[in-house]
Amino acid sequence: MKCRLFAAALCALPVLPVATTAFAQNCELKIGAMGPMSGGAAQWGLAMNSAAELAAAEANQEGGVKMGGKTCKVTVVPYDSKYTADGAAAGSNALAAQDIHLIIGPVGSPEATGIKPVAARNEQVAWNAAYAKNALEPKFPLMFHIAPGPAAWADAVIKRAKQVFPMKSVALIAPNDQGGTDIASVDAEAYKANGITTTEEYYQRGTTNFAPIVTRILAARPDVVDTASSPPGDAGVIVKQLRLAGFTGAIGRLGGPGTDEIIRVSGGLDVLKDFYWFETIPTGDPKVQAIDDEYKKLLGKDPVGGTAVWADLPAARMTLKAVSIAGTDDAKAVAAALRTLPVEDPNIGKGYWGGKKQFGIAQELQFPFGIGIIKDGKNLGVERQEPKPE
Amino acid sequence: MAEFLQAAIIGISLGAQYALLALGFTLIFGILGVVNFSHGGFYMLGGYVAYSCVAGLGLPYPLAVIVAVLATAALGWVFELFLLERLVDDHLATLMLTLGLYLVISTGLLTIFGPLSMEFAFPVTGALHLGSIYVPRENLIVLVVCLAAIAALWLVLFRTDLGRGLRALANDRAVAMAQGLRPKLLFPLAFAIATGLAGLTGALVTPILSLSPGVGDPVLATSFLTVILGGLGSLEGAALAAFVVGIVEAFTSVYFGGSIGALVLFVLVLLLLAFRPTGLMGRTVRGA
Repeated sequence: MKCRLFAAALCALPVLPVATTAFAQNCELKIGAMGPMSGGAAQWGLAMNSAAELAAAEANQEGGVKMGGKTCKVTVVPYDSKYTADGAAAGSNALAAQDIHLIIGPVGSPEATGIKPVAARNEQVAWNAAYAKNALEPKFPLMFHIAPGPAAWADAVIKRAKQVFPMKSVALIAPNDQGGTDIASVDAEAYKANGITTTEEYYQRGTTNFAPIVTRILAARPDVVDTASSPPGDAGVIVKQLRLAGFTGAIGRLGGPGTDEIIRVSGGLDVLKDFYWFETIPTGDPKVQAIDDEYKKLLGKDPVGGTAVWADLPAARMTLKAVSIAGTDDAKAVAAALRTLPVEDPNIGKGYWGGKKQFGIAQELQFPFGIGIIKDGKNLGVERQEPKPE
Repeated sequence: MAEFLQAAIIGISLGAQYALLALGFTLIFGILGVVNFSHGGFYMLGGYVAYSCVAGLGLPYPLAVIVAVLATAALGWVFELFLLERLVDDHLATLMLTLGLYLVISTGLLTIFGPLSMEFAFPVTGALHLGSIYVPRENLIVLVVCLAAIAALWLVLFRTDLGRGLRALANDRAVAMAQGLRPKLLFPLAFAIATGLAGLTGALVTPILSLSPGVGDPVLATSFLTVILGGLGSLEGAALAAFVVGIVEAFTSVYFGGSIGALVLFVLVLLLLAFRPTGLMGRTVRGA
């Protein structure tokens, strides 16, 4: 029986390449996926890659992307930009060397700062997910923004958190680079606008033991500690050490996603206990969660990157749609096509183009977002919030 | 006052961890003359081996720590014997070899375990609270194990024939070899002891902090800074400097914040190099 199976498999071998390539082998469209794929923020970069992979698999399932009379198979080239400006700049050049004009990513503020001028010179469309105050600039029209920063949603999260966890003071902790300070300072303003006194603590990225900083934070006796944009791995250690030091107040997170990683590193829901956080999209929605099932169906494995994959996916899908409309992967043509597309995703719903008010250029996706609450160690889920058009 | 005492407790705890790392690092430099850029890799590997033993094989944590020490020591021994030994006097080659080994270890761990942190908790949790001062129980255990390991290393190096042999090779290899000491036997052994110490630190510390493929990066910087402060190659200097680094880091971070804390350490090393280039112990310890 085994011999027959083996023989059948051997006979099928020459047919397999035909079966897998028949749909779209006229040409190949390479897109880049960029972000930190190692280190404490790896989850966010790998999410970019998973989102790009899924969008590519969906396009390939439909026969590929049409470009100039040809139907092209989409492939994804990942690049680990290590959450650094130089990493992202080098990544832009490395992808340009492979004739890649479209990049899903990068993630952090330092990376966004690094890639903007280089991607403009290389004529590449890039989608950054940074919460930097200058994530978009009118002088870089090929740069798009995956989701708005805290200026758009911090007030709503704080108002909801105050209902569940009454607070008069909060200590914010974040890395001391642009990826940390840009977000923590905006968060602090939002807390102050809600009548909450704030202190800001910054640490050197790469810090592994937060015990001294935790001691300093607790000396100020805050009601709440907010981990802002600290990478999820760092935030987990901070939570663990805060609880060990006897801190019983709520923990907030007005920063990037990563709740699963924070729960895992801190030691579980019992340690985290009281927690509120911002989600880029409403992760409690079954239609949003179905993205993981689709990924597994098309790619035969689980996506890596947690809920950030769901948030990054619309950008990847819209980019490939724009390529089909433009009929080319030329960055300027794709960017022009992108601007004409309505902000809509089959899994997430309808949104708006935003960013004009904050950045002077309306190239930011504003989809419904979520507010998550964990109370007394029990995950109460993520509440859906609708965005308001500018 | 409570903050002062808390900072001192944290500083001593950090110092013990740094001492284990720095002693291994300086041992390799002192005896082999090699700057081991893979030291952070052995720290990570120690953590992952312990994690695999606990989560995968169901071994009790203390046994997992022992396995981690033996595994990292064995890898260090093999690496020195078959790769490093051939080029041990070529500083550039050994630098590239150890750096390459670090990349192999970190990429291998990333491929096998993925980029996210492992769910690896220390078996003893909670803290002793004395008023507003707290001492995590896990830190106390780590401190005791670290101090015991440092004492054991001191006994081996200063109270045994093996230790005398290693120190003789460090002082003057040619004379030591003329006396019958065999570097081909002792160099791999010294390397194994050092990597075993890094593995021990990784197995002890990663469950308290976090375990992911990037945790070895800061270890090299801390080890380097510590041994430069103590005097490259000086075991006593490394141990003393480790506690200085731990205490300075704790006090500056508590009183001036995390950014200033990191800055003060590097300024301290810069000043020391400017005024006392041989480090805290103030003598050239390696003549080989």
